[in-house]
Amino acid sequence: MKRRFIGASAFALAVALGAQAAQADVTLLFWPGPESDAMQAVIDAFNEGPGQELGFEVDQLLFSRQGFFDKELSDLAAGSTEFDLALVTTYTLGRYAPFLEPLDQYLDPGVADHFAPVALDSLSADGSIYGIPTDISVHFAFYRTDLIDELMNNPDWQARYSEIAAEHLGAARDPVDPGDWTWDDYIATALFFTQSINPDAPTQFGSALQLQNLIFNIMIWQSTLVSNGGNWMDADGTITIDSDAARRGLEIYQTIIDAGATPPGSLSYEFAEANAAFGTGRAATTLQWNAAFNIVNDPDEYPETGGLVGIAPMPAGPEGHRTHSHSLGIGMNAASENKDQAGQFLNYLASIEAQEIYAAAGGTPAVPSILEGMSDQRPEFPLIGQFAADYGFVINGGTAAYAVPVYEVLAQEFSGYWSGQTDIDTALSQAASGMAEAMAQ
Amino acid sequence: MHRRREAWWLIAPLAIFMVVWLGFPFLSNLYYSLSDVTFETLSSPTLTGFGNFADAAGSAAFWQSLWFSLRFAVIATTAQIIIALTLAIALRPLLERYRFLLAVLILPLMISPALMGIMYKLMLNEFVGVVPQYLALFGLYPNLLGPDWVVTVVIAIEVLQWTPFALLLLLTALQAIPEELLDAAYVDGAKPRDQVRRIVLPLMGPAIAITAFIRFIDSFRVFDHIYVLTGGGPGTLTTSSSIFIYRAFFQQGRLGFAIASSLILMAFSLLLLWATMRYVLKGART
Repeated sequence: MKRRFIGASAFALAVALGAQAAQADVTLLFWPGPESDAMQAVIDAFNEGPGQELGFEVDQLLFSRQGFFDKELSDLAAGSTEFDLALVTTYTLGRYAPFLEPLDQYLDPGVADHFAPVALDSLSADGSIYGIPTDISVHFAFYRTDLIDELMNNPDWQARYSEIAAEHLGAARDPVDPGDWTWDDYIATALFFTQSINPDAPTQFGSALQLQNLIFNIMIWQSTLVSNGGNWMDADGTITIDSDAARRGLEIYQTIIDAGATPPGSLSYEFAEANAAFGTGRAATTLQWNAAFNIVNDPDEYPETGGLVGIAPMPAGPEGHRTHSHSLGIGMNAASENKDQAGQFLNYLASIEAQEIYAAAGGTPAVPSILEGMSDQRPEFPLIGQFAADYGFVINGGTAAYAVPVYEVLAQEFSGYWSGQTDIDTALSQAASGMAEAMAQ
Repeated sequence: MHRRREAWWLIAPLAIFMVVWLGFPFLSNLYYSLSDVTFETLSSPTLTGFGNFADAAGSAAFWQSLWFSLRFAVIATTAQIIIALTLAIALRPLLERYRFLLAVLILPLMISPALMGIMYKLMLNEFVGVVPQYLALFGLYPNLLGPDWVVTVVIAIEVLQWTPFALLLLLTALQAIPEELLDAAYVDGAKPRDQVRRIVLPLMGPAIAITAFIRFIDSFRVFDHIYVLTGGGPGTLTTSSSIFIYRAFFQQGRLGFAIASSLILMAFSLLLLWATMRYVLKGART
């Protein structure tokens, strides 16, 4: 019996040691979902190819998405050596930077030249690159092609559209192609497709805005700010959020809210709810992340809108069309004990070959040439590259350590205004003072 | 002397556990709350005195969140106790006869509050949610997550999930009341209403107080289902103290301020614990 026990223990120990030996040399901390699925394809290709020659393997360590960034930040700040590489984003970069390794010394010259400049900028801080871009996000104005086609060709609809614009916006307007929408055109379209304003409208609401107290909703709203010439701060770092541009941006949303052109529940909407409102055919348009296109245009998921979704740049202000752009990427843990190997993997990840594998596996790489080449499978891809290049912006201070706290302040104050909790003057002045406080931390 | 030593021995494991697992974090939190500390300076905080406590005490947003938590906890706890007590008294014969019914009634306890938030997010969705669909049958179209209804909705969810817990405790307390007392009252001509008022409720007083205390503390630090459902909004209408502290800590990076705020909250809770225990111990002595 005793011998059997010792034998079993020895076997268990051998298995454990074997498992230890089989563990990867480089560990990448990521979140589960389409991005990690795509990353796994890249890792598999690396482990079977260059990794064999270099003599090490890469593996993923997945934390759940819920509270991912909080957990990641805690581990980075604690100097954890359990992972060598980790997911970084434009908006968390500034806060993570003290715990990340600048990548410039690890990257071969020219290895990152094929990325969209806005993507590299969005993962850079203090002149150094802190992340290899993997996914790029921009915003689109989503619309129903069947409804807009009818509007552009039906004289009765056009006459009604013009009347509604005159009544609500103070001047008659003609419908224009979504690609040329200004914010007033967008508002007029939203009003026209709202049944409480136009009883003959085929949809209950003209728009589905995302107004929950959430930083990602402010990222969408920022297109109204920047296209009207505003920003968080000017080149000298002076806070400029309490400005005419921000006021105009807030009023664009408020006009749609007050008119009942966005569902009342919009106050608690984020990504999924806006998709549901648009995808179930209740709303004619929405302002949404590019990732939504594949979802609402899928006939299996949303029969009402599948195959009928058009995408246009975010409506234009005096400064033209502008879209917030941010990137996901992979950065290096400053406490890593495998920096050289991690750097070698990042060189591979930055290559066209790896980015193509990533795209084929479901990612949205920030490489315009790859995005254009995949238009057959993903019709929105070329537009992502084009919009990011032509209209993309990273808000001033958007990669700083205070970026998330500032987003938090704006989300709180502006959602308070949209819900009627505060007036616009209070919201803007408190946003400015809250920003100053957040930046001073 | 022997009994005293025995008491110390009995209490020692718990005392050691608390000193190790609660004492150290408490002391380090106390130090952080008196320091200027960020994620970058976690290992080298600078002692600054009571500035963080002063900031928290002077923060309108902190008091607003505290006021929300207090209202939330008082209303939710009161509702839970009244419903649970009513159910315990009314359903006692049924629950004693069909014990599996109790298991069915406490099912909501098995669901994590965050999951509850996700579930209600779907159920309350104005286009695909089951609740608005039923309300529409009666010509009602309230915006359940809008400013007018959102506080009521998040309280209702709390009550629906945690009333079974109160029911479980109160039913046990009810069953502990000697049958002879009620029988004697019956023989003396006491009506059921008088039995409840003069015998059941006074005898259940300490149990009700403890249940109310547990539920109050739990409701007071509500986080999960509200954060998932509303993110603390619209605006800050449903920002509880826990959400406020979470945001200050993780999203605003104000570690010292957040910890100072949480210590103020803890002081409130201890005050309540002291008052409740005084009542319970007084009840036990009489």
